[in-house]
Amino acid sequence: MASGSDREGGRLRWLDCNARIGAWSNPQPEQFMDAAGLTDAWDRVGIEGGLVYHAWGWEWSPARANEMLLEEVAAEPRMRPCYVALPHATHEMEPVLRFAAQVRQSRGAVRIFPAKHGWSTQDWCAGALFDALQSTSVPLLVDITQVSWDAIAGICAGHPRLNVIVLETFYRVDRMVYPLMERYPKLHLEANTYAPFLGPEGIVSNFGAERLVFGTAMPELDAGGPMALVSYADVSEEDRAKIAGGNLLRLLGEEE
Amino acid sequence: MSMSLLEYARTGTPVEELFICDAHAHMGPYFNFLVNDEGSPGAMVRSMDRLGIDLSIVSPHIAITCDFREGNRHAYEAAEQFPGRILPFVVVNPNFPAAETEAEIARWDAKGILAFKFHASLHGTDTLNDGYTPAYEYANAHSLPILSHSWSGAGGPLKVIETLSGRYPNIQFVNAHSSSGWSVIDASCELAERFERVWLDLTGSRLVYGGVERMVARVGAERILWGTDSPFIDPRPGLGRMLCADLTDEDKRKILGENARGLYRL
Repeated sequence: MASGSDREGGRLRWLDCNARIGAWSNPQPEQFMDAAGLTDAWDRVGIEGGLVYHAWGWEWSPARANEMLLEEVAAEPRMRPCYVALPHATHEMEPVLRFAAQVRQSRGAVRIFPAKHGWSTQDWCAGALFDALQSTSVPLLVDITQVSWDAIAGICAGHPRLNVIVLETFYRVDRMVYPLMERYPKLHLEANTYAPFLGPEGIVSNFGAERLVFGTAMPELDAGGPMALVSYADVSEEDRAKIAGGNLLRLLGEEE
Repeated sequence: MSMSLLEYARTGTPVEELFICDAHAHMGPYFNFLVNDEGSPGAMVRSMDRLGIDLSIVSPHIAITCDFREGNRHAYEAAEQFPGRILPFVVVNPNFPAAETEAEIARWDAKGILAFKFHASLHGTDTLNDGYTPAYEYANAHSLPILSHSWSGAGGPLKVIETLSGRYPNIQFVNAHSSSGWSVIDASCELAERFERVWLDLTGSRLVYGGVERMVARVGAERILWGTDSPFIDPRPGLGRMLCADLTDEDKRKILGENARGLYRL
């Protein structure tokens, strides 16, 4: 995943903020687990690259998963690491400032699974982690099955310079999303399953195209759906390019 | 076609070369989330134009929730407002007396009934409710399809379809949301494999990686129907999933419109 313009040769640059590699507990025969499978899937639909997390970090050990992830992405320049994080107090990971600096140096991001991993996003538990990510300009990704909208509000309120990308929201969310978008300018949505009728147009006209980030959720979900949500959006070509890839580049600090 | 269907999705080009029928659409606002532009018929047709969808068959949200008669009126009005672009399902609510259901069917019989839409879940019942009998009998007498949110009832969908298909030999049973997750896909395919008058509808929000490819591998492309739930859900994810699927363009052509053309005699 190279830095550079969000359009190259007049074509959209598609960059995926939400992809996964590694083994997990209940794969289907159609799904891939390895990096080669992901790059093949990206190639099929024309996605240049993106942020990748390791399934072990979801279902086993974030620390071990991040080590494995770094080995994988070192061999695949199209992939940027999306580390899985835990709060600091149990010392299961590097101290948070050292961890955040490492993520920043690798131009990666951090994903959290508070519900599955059994911790709270409130500051008494995770404030130090979020402070560290904020101070190093590392984006935080979380899917909405893992936190409540109240928790999202709490993270954004307590850490107003932290870029947050909420993933896999589906379509019944605007009565929560709109007031949060109004209040917290660093809040972003993955333009994947965010599929209210004319939803992307509503976000762009009310809050700006900077707030949507393309992602696929492969190998769980299909890539064609989120791609069409962006490619057919009734927005300017400049805004479309931001959503397809430009915003992710910006959030990872690679804006031209 | 000058480019692949996948390339249409990548470039956001309306798919004007194919007949595309959204065989499971709705219309109007909804109670527990925002529907932009109130999901109006005009907004739906503008959205269809942007994608290249020729026709949508609709059951308004009001029909599948609180007022099936008002909803049917909305659907027929929209069909008159946008001829050839919107067609109505007739919705019945089995919680109402049979005489009222019969009157509602008679009301639309004069204008022509294409098919019925059942939403037993939102109507708080199941598809074996006796209140559906007038619709089953009409559909059987006229060899019409019925699109149902699910074929729910005692014993589960296999038992329900076994019962209904024995009782009504001329009805085609469309199983909505057949691809919403792996367990649903496998159960839906089993239903289609067991009963040749079962059709599988792709409408849904959770479009799993490789799901439609498994469905085609198991049951073939000929009894799979494309639908989007629009404007309950935006139609673009459903279209993009089909255009980018790892299937032949011929299979995509059948699923996106030709199968609906045959089933609904369009």
